[in-house]
Amino acid sequence: MKRHRALLAHALGALVRRRGRNAAVAVGLALVVALFTAVLFLGDALRAEVEAGARHVPDLAVQRLVAGRPALVPTDAARAVAAIPGVRTVTPRVWGYLYAPPISANVTVLGATGREALPPAVVAGRALRPGERGACVLGAALADALGVRVGDEIALAGNAGADAVRVLRVVGTFHDASALRTADLLVTSDTDARALLGVAEGFVTDLAVALSTPDEARVATDKIARLIPGARVVDKQRLRRAYALTLDGRSGLLTAALLPALAALLLLAWDRLTGLSEAERRELGVLKAVGWEVRDVLTARLWESALVAFAGATVGVLVAYVYVFVAQAPGLAGALFGWSALHPPLRLTPQVDAAQTLALVAGVAVPFIAVGLVPAWRAATLDPDRALRGQA
Amino acid sequence: MTRAPSDAAARPAIDARALCKRYDDGVRRREVVSDVTLAVAPGTLSVLRGPSGSGKTTLLGLLGGMIAPTSGEVSVCGEPLSRLRDHHRARARRRLVGFVFQDLALLPGMSLTENVLLPLVPDGGATPAQRAYAEALLARFELGALADARVERLSGGERQRGALARALVCAPAVLLLDEPTAHLDGARVRDVIALLAALRDEGRTIVATTHDPRLADDPRIDRVLDLADGRLVGDAPRGPATPD
Repeated sequence: MKRHRALLAHALGALVRRRGRNAAVAVGLALVVALFTAVLFLGDALRAEVEAGARHVPDLAVQRLVAGRPALVPTDAARAVAAIPGVRTVTPRVWGYLYAPPISANVTVLGATGREALPPAVVAGRALRPGERGACVLGAALADALGVRVGDEIALAGNAGADAVRVLRVVGTFHDASALRTADLLVTSDTDARALLGVAEGFVTDLAVALSTPDEARVATDKIARLIPGARVVDKQRLRRAYALTLDGRSGLLTAALLPALAALLLLAWDRLTGLSEAERRELGVLKAVGWEVRDVLTARLWESALVAFAGATVGVLVAYVYVFVAQAPGLAGALFGWSALHPPLRLTPQVDAAQTLALVAGVAVPFIAVGLVPAWRAATLDPDRALRGQA
Repeated sequence: MTRAPSDAAARPAIDARALCKRYDDGVRRREVVSDVTLAVAPGTLSVLRGPSGSGKTTLLGLLGGMIAPTSGEVSVCGEPLSRLRDHHRARARRRLVGFVFQDLALLPGMSLTENVLLPLVPDGGATPAQRAYAEALLARFELGALADARVERLSGGERQRGALARALVCAPAVLLLDEPTAHLDGARVRDVIALLAALRDEGRTIVATTHDPRLADDPRIDRVLDLADGRLVGDAPRGPATPD
């Protein structure tokens, strides 16, 4: 322990003596780690959003198409679907998009009947009471975009053909963790939603179907298609697979984005592999000449490389965190995920897989340290006089 | 000379037998040191003299375990350095041999004290006693006020004494110096010889390479070994303390 403390102190001194080169190497490593980690953080955050959203998606969503366009579903169809074996519950839903001029974007309006799976935690204010009219709960991002808080009122004009303007009091906002699902969501009473969206009584937008087991999905889908002419059934499992495919496609782009980082890492490694400067070689020779053993030289070198590598990697992870979760990954998010055009903007919720991040740091730092030991080992195993003469 | 023969004199401080060192660069083979057999008595001040390229520095490196011989053996204070594995040899060298290089080999960017204490780092750093000893050495060599100065700011003479202090910090029995008077003016040469003689009088065994007659011809030198083309061609003991 005493030996390691002394060698660590020597390594710190060496770090300071070669601060220019070490700082350059640490910055290079930090950039590489930041790029890797930013992509990792982005991917994790997106997967978490998708997973959080998928948890609340019904096993089947039954919609209807007429002449290739979405059409309303008769509420009576719910009873027929509920009679299909394997179907646990059927929830008629009223929802749709409403253009909101103040933010120049569409808002998703959902009518609450009290039976549907509502988004999770309301963080500010409260949830809607059954049948409560003239009130709404908003996604946090939507509330931000509209500049409203709990207790404020908003006025919304209904879609063409719908009832007149509705004034709704904001009674709560949803948690950021469900941002992908709730960012542009406005939940109001069934009556208010129908008025805003122009959905007549006796019809709903779709039916949310819960199954006894997901394995029933294919059979239930076939039966629903026979029961309701023009039915389009969205299967949760298929939806998940579609998400997975989309993410896989994006992962191809991520890999492409990683190539420059990999190239930079290889360049750094090459520099370490071949790059003992004349002064460094001479220093190793002096250490050997004054009686240091090979393991002493390598240990000091290991400490020095480890300090540089982990300092660089730590800074890289911090930069990635700030870049992704504070700055919302400008450039990368828009280029890779394409949601930067969504209104209101989606705020990524920090999702950090500590084990994965540590593995990434180790994956970058450990090879860097190991590669740095190669020229040091070559110099340290020479006779001291040859190392002193720079013959390493 | 005030030294008296001791029991240790019975065993040479440095005992080299049939030492050879060849370098093979793939194109040609050069024998830099050829069949050198040599015994250096403890507490003596010897000089290895010879022209440039005669193999003095290589022989000094072989004697101090700094260079592995191609053949032959060398022992220091009874420790068979040439037979030891690298890590044992490094440890024995640290304990037994102090080495002053011709270019001094001080590390720039470090203070004089840090340089002097460098050999003690692998043992966990200097103990309070070792630190006090290092300070005493620096004071003795008139470097006390420069202890915290970075070595690149020191003069040539100060750096040389600093290198000597580093060579002595582990209190080795044997001190080897490569051209200690090179590039020094007359007064400085006299200082260096006086210092070496004083260290010898304290019981240390000292071997220095030189092609400087001011050192080789000084009456305080106990023995002059002449080297030419890697071979020992002359051995001139001068004082009563020489073993032969």
